[in-house]
Amino acid sequence: MPSLLKFLVRRVLAIPVTLFIVTAVLYGIIMLAPADARAEMYMPRWGSNNPNLRPEVLRQQIIEQHGLNDPYPVQYLRWVSRLVQGDWGWSPGFRTDVLAALLERTPATVELTLYSVLLLVPLGIVGGALAGAGENHPVDYAFRLVAFVATSLPPFILALVLLSFFYASLNWFPPGRLSIAEELVVAKGTFTTYTGLLTIDGLLNERSDISVSALRHLVLPAFTLSLLHWATLGRLTRAAMIEEQDKDYVIAARGRGLRERVITWRHVLHNAMIPALNSIALSAASLMMGVFVVEVVFDFPGVSELIVASMQGVPDMPAAMGFAIYSVLLVLPVMLALDLLQAVFDPRIREGIAEP
Amino acid sequence: MRKTRRFFTNWQNLLAVVIISVYVAVALAAPWLAPQADPENPVMFRLLPGPRATSLRVPRPPQPDARLGTAPGGADVFYALIWGTRLALRFGLVTALSTAFFGVLVGAIGGYVEGPLYRLILRVTDAFLTVPAIAGIYLFGLVLIPRGPDASPTLLQAITQALRLHPVMLALIFFSWMPYVRLISANIVVLKQTEYAMAAKTLGVPPLHIIFRHLLPNAIAPAIVLVTRDIGGMVLLEAAFTFIGIGAGLPWGVLLVAAKDWVIGPGGNPWTYWWTFVPATLVLVGFSIGWNLLGDGLNDALNPRSRGRKRW
Repeated sequence: MPSLLKFLVRRVLAIPVTLFIVTAVLYGIIMLAPADARAEMYMPRWGSNNPNLRPEVLRQQIIEQHGLNDPYPVQYLRWVSRLVQGDWGWSPGFRTDVLAALLERTPATVELTLYSVLLLVPLGIVGGALAGAGENHPVDYAFRLVAFVATSLPPFILALVLLSFFYASLNWFPPGRLSIAEELVVAKGTFTTYTGLLTIDGLLNERSDISVSALRHLVLPAFTLSLLHWATLGRLTRAAMIEEQDKDYVIAARGRGLRERVITWRHVLHNAMIPALNSIALSAASLMMGVFVVEVVFDFPGVSELIVASMQGVPDMPAAMGFAIYSVLLVLPVMLALDLLQAVFDPRIREGIAEP
Repeated sequence: MRKTRRFFTNWQNLLAVVIISVYVAVALAAPWLAPQADPENPVMFRLLPGPRATSLRVPRPPQPDARLGTAPGGADVFYALIWGTRLALRFGLVTALSTAFFGVLVGAIGGYVEGPLYRLILRVTDAFLTVPAIAGIYLFGLVLIPRGPDASPTLLQAITQALRLHPVMLALIFFSWMPYVRLISANIVVLKQTEYAMAAKTLGVPPLHIIFRHLLPNAIAPAIVLVTRDIGGMVLLEAAFTFIGIGAGLPWGVLLVAAKDWVIGPGGNPWTYWWTFVPATLVLVGFSIGWNLLGDGLNDALNPRSRGRKRW
């Protein structure tokens, strides 16, 4: 499918522009703080070498050394070049490099996001299609009720209810990523990390018990996260299905004597999926936000730890900034994947005639 | 007029209006429902005098001087819920309406001028769509909350404080206007080609007048639906942020945070301390259901394509 490849290239080429705008805006926000406060973005790696140096003096040194009173474009360019070189600043809260801290927590977040998206996209489309195909039938009513409740229920409350039932009462699905004993197994040298995704690494290491346990820990967070977006996607699909059913091509297909089931599931659904996928692609950022919230509630050791932990300690501007940029880097592939899915189903988008 | 009557004959719309009216009434009547000890210096949490510091932590069941019991810290749940309604309503209305105002303004002008400026606006909109609001919130907090007690506030800090804008509100507004731009500008681009818009332009009507008097009224319906849902959505988001520790600290969310460790009581029984989380949850979910129902009702009333369809 060469046209699909072309579409992908077009999309990827647009990413640098997006990144430029986002980083410029984020750095602009930081620039609203006085130079004094911004000095902590450039704190030397292990604090100051000279213990007798007073913090005020150190700050003054940093401001001069990094030119924190220079005009915005100059500072921005200097900062971006540091960013590209992998120098994301040193976090006083974590006592490590920000980038290292983020990368260490990436596999957990990726695993959770991956399973949630794989769960919610097919189920959302099938649920919406079932409801839309049988408008005002019992299935439709049931779907509408569940979807409405799901969109009004705050995920963290749902999480608490699920935990109190499935963990506290039944002990089926514990919080965290692995139990302590299993953490120790993974930390040992005999367990090789291939992908960082524990469900897959467990199988590759022939430790299926680790995979099963990782899955058990994923059930509740993935479900909580999926429910809201499943409902949104389902409602959009349902509305699109109902709208498509009155179109001429459906009447024509019926006139040709096609079976009703073929019309619904092949022709109508095909066209109804496209607008639904489009809206869910646009809310990729809110999906990622859900990932972060769910991580915190379920004690899942993902990248969101970086902001939550820095809340409790000293104000940690490097961590906050690193987290902001990193979360954009996480949203982009999710968006790209959902865009690509749209292009698979819509030749107009693939050929660049219509914008997704 | 007929539209209005049809809107109110639907029981779901009626329910939505009733729910929202109750919240508004409670917000307005807060001083009578839960009198402040010192109206000059209002507080959102009323601490009940407790016997000893150690036993104070345990939530106390409903009693005459705390109608819905106390939260784990000793705060009166009923009092916090009542005053929380006022704050939540203000938070939702201010945040959602400001977001919509900004988005509609940019979208309407962008869609009308087209050309390079419009392409630039769309580029920036798409870029903002990749930023999860949660990432901006902590950043705004760091910039806008003055460091230390003796630090003199910067100009921006002074402005936000004077407007009583919490950094979380500012961050939510700053990172949620994009859908409005997309909705409105797409509509305006189409409407611009209609005969009446062309006629107005030929007659020499100024562009701003065409945009805001002639085109916008026909393009705004989806934005009204979205802003209605957003009022509830923003309050839910704030509660979630408060829950993970970066929110604006509205009472509803704070009550739920305090209740977090008491949901599961002794022996794994989740109902022992029900008053710490059940009322707050119901109030929060009810708020979001009310605005969601109203949004759906407005969607049916304003969107010609969904007229006569049943929905939820």
